[in-house]
Amino acid sequence: MATSLVRQTKLLSIVSSQLNPAACFRNIHCTAACLKNRAARIREGKGDKSVTYEQAYHPHHIGHRKGWLSQHTSNLQGEDGAAERVVEDVFIRRFMYGTFHGCLADEVVIKRRGNLLVICAVMIQKLLPSKFYFLIGYTEELLSHFYKCPVKIEMQTVEEKVVYKYL
Amino acid sequence: MASSCSQALKQHVCKSSTILRVHLQKSWPKRSFVLNSAADQQPAVSSPEEIVIPKKKTWSKEAVLQALASTVSRDPTASDYRLQDDPYLTPKTSSEFKLFSLSQESGKNAAKYFINTYPKYFQKDYAQPHIPCLMPETLEAQIEEVSEAALIERIHMRKVKAAVDLYDQLQQAGTPVSLDVTNQLLDLICFYGDSDPAQENSDEMAQENTLSYHKRSPCLVFSFRENNNAERIFALLSEPNTHSYSALIRGMVKYGAYSKAFSTYTDLLNNRLKADVNTFNALITAAPEVKEKYNEKWELIVDLLKELAEQKIKPNLLTLNGVLKALRRCGTLGKSQAFPVLSEMKALSIGPLKTHSHAFPIMLCSAGAPFLGQTDILQEVMNEVSGKSFTPQDPDDGICLLLQRCLLTKDIEQAYSVHELLGVGENWRLLGNDLQQNIYYARFFSLLCMMENIDVMLKWYRDLVPSVYYPSSNIMRDLLQALDTDNRLDLIPQIWKGDRGKVIMSWTATSLSDVISVLLAAQRRQDAWEILKLFKTHNRVPSEELLNKFLTCVTESGEVNHAVELVQISAGFCLPETPKLIQRVQQEFQLSEQQK
Repeated sequence: MATSLVRQTKLLSIVSSQLNPAACFRNIHCTAACLKNRAARIREGKGDKSVTYEQAYHPHHIGHRKGWLSQHTSNLQGEDGAAERVVEDVFIRRFMYGTFHGCLADEVVIKRRGNLLVICAVMIQKLLPSKFYFLIGYTEELLSHFYKCPVKIEMQTVEEKVVYKYL
Repeated sequence: MASSCSQALKQHVCKSSTILRVHLQKSWPKRSFVLNSAADQQPAVSSPEEIVIPKKKTWSKEAVLQALASTVSRDPTASDYRLQDDPYLTPKTSSEFKLFSLSQESGKNAAKYFINTYPKYFQKDYAQPHIPCLMPETLEAQIEEVSEAALIERIHMRKVKAAVDLYDQLQQAGTPVSLDVTNQLLDLICFYGDSDPAQENSDEMAQENTLSYHKRSPCLVFSFRENNNAERIFALLSEPNTHSYSALIRGMVKYGAYSKAFSTYTDLLNNRLKADVNTFNALITAAPEVKEKYNEKWELIVDLLKELAEQKIKPNLLTLNGVLKALRRCGTLGKSQAFPVLSEMKALSIGPLKTHSHAFPIMLCSAGAPFLGQTDILQEVMNEVSGKSFTPQDPDDGICLLLQRCLLTKDIEQAYSVHELLGVGENWRLLGNDLQQNIYYARFFSLLCMMENIDVMLKWYRDLVPSVYYPSSNIMRDLLQALDTDNRLDLIPQIWKGDRGKVIMSWTATSLSDVISVLLAAQRRQDAWEILKLFKTHNRVPSEELLNKFLTCVTESGEVNHAVELVQISAGFCLPETPKLIQRVQQEFQLSEQQK
């Protein structure tokens, strides 16, 4: 089916070029839009946009200059459950973003050790420590009951967002 | 020739080594490396014919965890395990610590509220094997119809009012309720005092309201009213048995109706029923409240004990603890009676002195302490209990009472042995809740400040602060005093730095002036100047005597500029002292025209 489609496209382009030899080639775009060149990249601008280290380096630097944001063993050979882990991670990131609204200084790192789910977050010192502890207790309890596994939060605070460079 | 020599040598060496090995194997005893539970196993028999298969060891489920835990000891540099490891999120005082841990608990409660209100989102079970504590709880009673099973269910769920209503409904419907179930209902009512228990969600709450029959409810909002449910249901019983009487009496004693308790007891005797140990314990606790004079109280207690003996009931630890507690209320009479009670305890082999049954009669010491004033009792007890592990049974057990005794007698060796006791096995539980822990460590520190020299003091300080204890202001003052007397003021920065870290301390006027006076005494004038400037930035006003002290110091050094600056500062604060200061400066210095 794919080969016939490609052949059809070629035919179509040949026909159209023959009809109008001076026109540029218009091809049919027949794959889904992946935009692999634009994911997780902040484009260079005027120089007033501050970016963190995580945001400054592009996805091809993962493993070279950046670490992984989510650590689990489902991607090893013979292990399953990778898709479920991804869905859980997405939910956890949104949950953290909403619960600690405006306090997150950087992306949340999620580590899985056996049954234990460790959420490592860097926060800005925007709230009082007692309020932080309230939200920590709430998050740990709710996520433990939701995912039926122990959930621990390891939090670190900074005074303001750590800027790596300005783009 | 050489080869044959070497061969002969080799053979000789081989033979001698085998001989040596055989000898060694014979002489060394067979060593077997076993862990504690197999210590009493028989080692393998040495004769080659019999093979003795050793007994199979069964380990508990947590054996691996316990073995791992035994390799790790407390980390003195880390704060409590419940807290996050971040300078902004670490508490500096004990009230902050309590605030943070309580706010974490209330967050957990908020989450539990959501989980139990919307259970349908938390039903999906990923865990294999199933983890029951991570499923939403069912808080509503399941069985709806009016029956005994429904009553039992409500009793299990501790719903006092619902249970009482259901019982009334059952009575009206005419269904007979069995005596056991009625007894359980009576227990429930008398325990919770005829009102529903507040939701005991957090551990903190549960620690503070240690519910037991021996502790009176702290806020006597409910007092045993005239026509309350317990008595009403009791009256409805056709033939109350020992259990019902005991429940009623214990409830009465718990909630303050002492005379009623005694009248119920006489009813019990009139019905020719026997009471049990718990009833007697309750009555003994109630005895000091009922009578006025010391000897009457003691006589009542003696009567009760005699009846206990007549009914051939064995007194347990709580009985004797109750007697000791009551003796405290008996004043001088109690002193003479305490010793015979103790010897009774020994004779009955209750407590740690004879058996290894795990109970720690701190009452022994606390009752003994204010009366007897003899240190040998403490010595004896410490000799007996050292090295043994106890579990606290009476909720009033507490180790800080022991330490108070040491504090009173200023006996540092005893204090160390008490502290060591905490390290044995399960004894950390004896420290009690956070408040008790604070008191214990405060006493320990004040004793150390008084008795020991500064290096030992600092060693303990580094060990205990801030992981276990947050020193309060008077302890810090004691510490500074001790440093002062020992002329080791250079150690202040160490303590200060360890305490405050990067967090901006909120300066108070007194703390600032204290620091300045200390620094002046140590002749560190430069630092004192900088801190004086801090007064301005933090909007605090220095006191008069501080300025005077400063001026004296400055005059000693002869710095005229500093003196003028000082006057300017005090003028800036509009202090009434300013003219006097100006006078002094003019007298003591030769001022140039500009400075005037």
